[in-house]
Amino acid sequence: MTTPDPVPVTGTAVLRGAILEQRRDVALSSLLAAGQQAGSALVPVLIGVIVDVAVTSGSPGLLILWIGVLAANFVVLSYSYRFSVRAAERAAEYAEHDLRLRLTHRVLHAGGGADAGRLSGELVNISTSDAKRVGTANVVVPFGLAAIVAVLVSAAVLLTISVPLGLLVLLGTPPLLLLTHYASKPLERRSEAEQARAAHASGVAADLVAGLRVLKGLGAERTAVQRYRRTSQESLVATLRTAQAYAAQGGVVETSSGVFIAVVALVGGVLAADGAISVGELVSTVGLALFLQIPLSTTGWTTIEFAQARASAARIAAVLSAPPAVPPGAGTARQPVRGGLRLRGVTHEGLHGVDLDVAPGELLGIVSPSPAIARALLACLARETDPETGTVELDDVPLAGLDPAAVRAAVLVATHDAVLFAGTLLENVTATGAADITAALVAAAADEVADSLPDGVDSTVGEQGSSLSGGQRQRVALARALAADRSVLVLHDPTTAVDSVTESRIAGALRRVRRGRTTVVVTTSPALLAVTDRVILLDGDGVRCEGRHADLVESRSDYRETVLT
Amino acid sequence: MSDTVDTTSPLPGGRELLPVATAADTRAAVGRLLRPHRWRAVVTLAVLVAGSAVALLVAPLLGRIVDVVVAGAGSAAVVGPAVLIAVVAVVAGLLTTVGMSLLVGLGERLLARLREQFVDRALALPLEQVERAGGGDLTARVTGDVAVVGEAVRGAVPKLARAGLTIVLTLLAMGALDWRFLVVALLAVPIQIHTARWYVRNAGPVYARQRVAEGGLQQQLLDTVGGAATVRAFLLADDHVDRVRGRSLTAVDLVLRGIRLMTRFYARLNLAEFVGLAAVLVTGFLLVGNGSVTAGTATAAALYFHSLFGPISSALVTIDEALSAGASLARIVGVAELPAPGEPQHRALPMDGSVKVADVHHAYRADRPVLHGVDLDIGAAERVALVGASGAGKTTLAKLIAGVHRPTGGSISLGGVGLDELGPELARRTVVLVTQEVHVFAGTLADDLRLARPDATEAQLREALSTVGALGWADALPDGLDTAVGEGAHTLSVTQAQQLALARLVLADPPVAILDEATAEAGSAGARVLEAAATRALAGRTGLLVAHRMTQAATADRVVVLDTGRLVEIGHHDELVAAGGRYAALWEAWSATRT
Repeated sequence: MTTPDPVPVTGTAVLRGAILEQRRDVALSSLLAAGQQAGSALVPVLIGVIVDVAVTSGSPGLLILWIGVLAANFVVLSYSYRFSVRAAERAAEYAEHDLRLRLTHRVLHAGGGADAGRLSGELVNISTSDAKRVGTANVVVPFGLAAIVAVLVSAAVLLTISVPLGLLVLLGTPPLLLLTHYASKPLERRSEAEQARAAHASGVAADLVAGLRVLKGLGAERTAVQRYRRTSQESLVATLRTAQAYAAQGGVVETSSGVFIAVVALVGGVLAADGAISVGELVSTVGLALFLQIPLSTTGWTTIEFAQARASAARIAAVLSAPPAVPPGAGTARQPVRGGLRLRGVTHEGLHGVDLDVAPGELLGIVSPSPAIARALLACLARETDPETGTVELDDVPLAGLDPAAVRAAVLVATHDAVLFAGTLLENVTATGAADITAALVAAAADEVADSLPDGVDSTVGEQGSSLSGGQRQRVALARALAADRSVLVLHDPTTAVDSVTESRIAGALRRVRRGRTTVVVTTSPALLAVTDRVILLDGDGVRCEGRHADLVESRSDYRETVLT
Repeated sequence: MSDTVDTTSPLPGGRELLPVATAADTRAAVGRLLRPHRWRAVVTLAVLVAGSAVALLVAPLLGRIVDVVVAGAGSAAVVGPAVLIAVVAVVAGLLTTVGMSLLVGLGERLLARLREQFVDRALALPLEQVERAGGGDLTARVTGDVAVVGEAVRGAVPKLARAGLTIVLTLLAMGALDWRFLVVALLAVPIQIHTARWYVRNAGPVYARQRVAEGGLQQQLLDTVGGAATVRAFLLADDHVDRVRGRSLTAVDLVLRGIRLMTRFYARLNLAEFVGLAAVLVTGFLLVGNGSVTAGTATAAALYFHSLFGPISSALVTIDEALSAGASLARIVGVAELPAPGEPQHRALPMDGSVKVADVHHAYRADRPVLHGVDLDIGAAERVALVGASGAGKTTLAKLIAGVHRPTGGSISLGGVGLDELGPELARRTVVLVTQEVHVFAGTLADDLRLARPDATEAQLREALSTVGALGWADALPDGLDTAVGEGAHTLSVTQAQQLALARLVLADPPVAILDEATAEAGSAGARVLEAAATRALAGRTGLLVAHRMTQAATADRVVVLDTGRLVEIGHHDELVAAGGRYAALWEAWSATRT
């Protein structure tokens, strides 16, 4: 409920935000990186000075003085570098961390919609790899800026040596940068395609690993491997094309900066030959021209990394901007929640014109011969979706006007496919509420599950409860639903994997533990239906009949057929 | 290859990670992968050496310009060396493009082969091993580790290759100028070696912890994102965001710790640079003074040494990338190089669909036995229902017969042939297990079905779907059998997913089929649809049903009752009801609400 509602954002805004939110560290890092680059630019200048000393004076005292200056310069550049990198990496890591949390918030947002159409492996990949690439922008910015500073410092030194040389560097560098930029344009597109493919390939692999038990049961491992090989090869073809583009860009950058140095050396050499500058100044000039390769190729690296960061930011923005499955409602449920439900003319997927009333505190059974109808009903009650037509009301307030989180604070729909989370059995059950945990465990017969496990309620259940059997998982999930203690609880087939003796016990306890609050059980299990106040038989045309279980069994052959086989 | 980081430290909750290869095994595995591409590798190396060598001509050409100026040869003499510098740039650029493209292409090919081999072996792993390690371990390896190695193949490896070549060739070139330059330049080397050693020693443990933390983060994200619907239903978003935040901050903290080490590492490298450069400059001063070298040569030597700063840093900085890529590679190779599952020497063919279980014991953990000496004979085409309370060992027995696990004691044979003699290949064709776990594979519906029989025709697919009563809804999908299903695509209901599982069974067409609560997850309404589907899917096969719905037991040929790992009752439904034992109690509870 603390989660802000999803707002559409662009990739550019995501990237800009990632940098601006860390602006203190980015600025600090930029400043220090510039200092480091300036220091690095001075190294070739000092080399020239020392060569000059050797050629002209040969004085050991001067040599020692200038070596001392060189040492001081190294101290400055070394410390600037150390703290600039620390600040940049801090900015990168925290930007990545923030994006990861924003993505998690969005995926878990009560309005839903972000996980539709995406493999969860893909979403995980976006929150790790793509978030990292965007975070890296915070390293790219300071070092890109510092590279520009290095070019400027070099130009200033060159201008003091000779105006034409300085101008050459100042005017020659921008076209070089532009060239680099254009060489990286097609890369941005390719990088995007490559990342999408890589995400797909790892998504397929994660999907196969997730279905490992099924593959094993079927003996289909070999076929699955062949299928993965095809995906992997398709991904390879795409990456190879990108690799060639990267190599070509590297070549273009290297060639153009080399040619640039040749021009600087030519002009400097001619000036020195004419006596306009000294030999030492010529050495500084060529040293600077060589040194310039580093900041210049840094700008090339910057454009590549930025292209990747932009592609990743676009993928992140797509998740953050995913339209919610239900529009947010501002209202909150009437307090205290009495727990009355009313459906009027609800039509949605399998449901057609359903009118239905559940009184506060009632224990209602809903029987539906079609799983599709049950699913549509549950989705509408949880406000995972709004019905195509008709209204669902809680205590006379339409759900469509309520915040989905507010709906779920009052109404818990415990679906059949709800998962358990990594942690202990007890952590799973207590995660949702502070109600009487022991009563919930006993009512769901989950206390027996705990007894059969090595560490009782403190036993870990594995990812998605994988270390429990189906029946054990179901009972722990039921205990969790009961412990949540919502005013309205909708249970969907809670005991299908449980043996019949245990099921009877659960049915008996359900009534007791939910006394005074509304409970709807969507099931065809006679053991559960027998303890309800009233049962409704729901089919594609709406409510077909209603009454007490025992009466319906007696009077309705269609009910008997659905419930007793 | 750097020393492998040991990541096999025990995890909380009795986890035991999958194998991690040693450094030697990793090297050997890379060698094996490289072998089919050795010519490509040789050409790549040659082109890269040529490119780096050509690029080194720039410094002596610049020295040449200095000498020309000092000699007062006039401005025209400068043009020649300057034009050569431009030519060198063009040639070096071309060679770099070709060399890099070849190198990365080579790396990508090896990586593709490796990840395919990884998936191949990963899917062949015994389930117990995967479960002990946690599913996240496999997933993290196939997504995270493959990505880390891929980044290295695209970044660190080519960088290291170029830098290494440049360093070696530059030092040679300095020696060629004057041997004394080379000797004093090497003064920096002890500092660099000491620094690199210090770094690897200190960074290794930090990176190892970093990988564990990143694995934990990945696992948490999978747990949270995979269970997003449940998180929303139970309003657990805040709790899960906190969990992700905690894991993420731990990872961030360790990364920053590594960065602090790295920056101290660089400070020491700066010292080495200064010592070497000062030594080269002083040497040049002395040599120019006594006239043994020209100012141009001294310039070239100083420029050479200065131009080493970049490659040395870039080579040493890739140490940390190489460390984490090495650790990731070891984790991939650890699984990819597991021996392929062995097939027995002489295979016997099963004679029929009979199943014989003799004195079978099983324990997942030595101190907690699950089965205690179960004996069971099932005739060909017989239908047997397995009944008992949760945790009685029904699922374990089903998995043992299906060959998913190997019993810790006793023997199981199919059609008169022991599972071991049958070998995994033949066992898979003899028995299929449909579990309570429904997983619809991402891809088209037809692709999903063809997992069971890759060469099945469209007509066979439709027939299988029709057998399990699924053809109606399958045809009603937006693109029929070509509809993309599974996670992220069209979602099938639990019933539909189970029908799909049964259709796969029909396509696989094994003589023995085991259904483990295959109808339970679908909910009670779906269960009836599935029961009918299961009956048709089992026609003509030996069937073992793990039953919770007592109707399945009542209509089976025989019922077997398990209680805490022991077979306590066996017989026809009527006999067992009349006997008044455990089965009778279960039946009574079941039918009490139904009459």
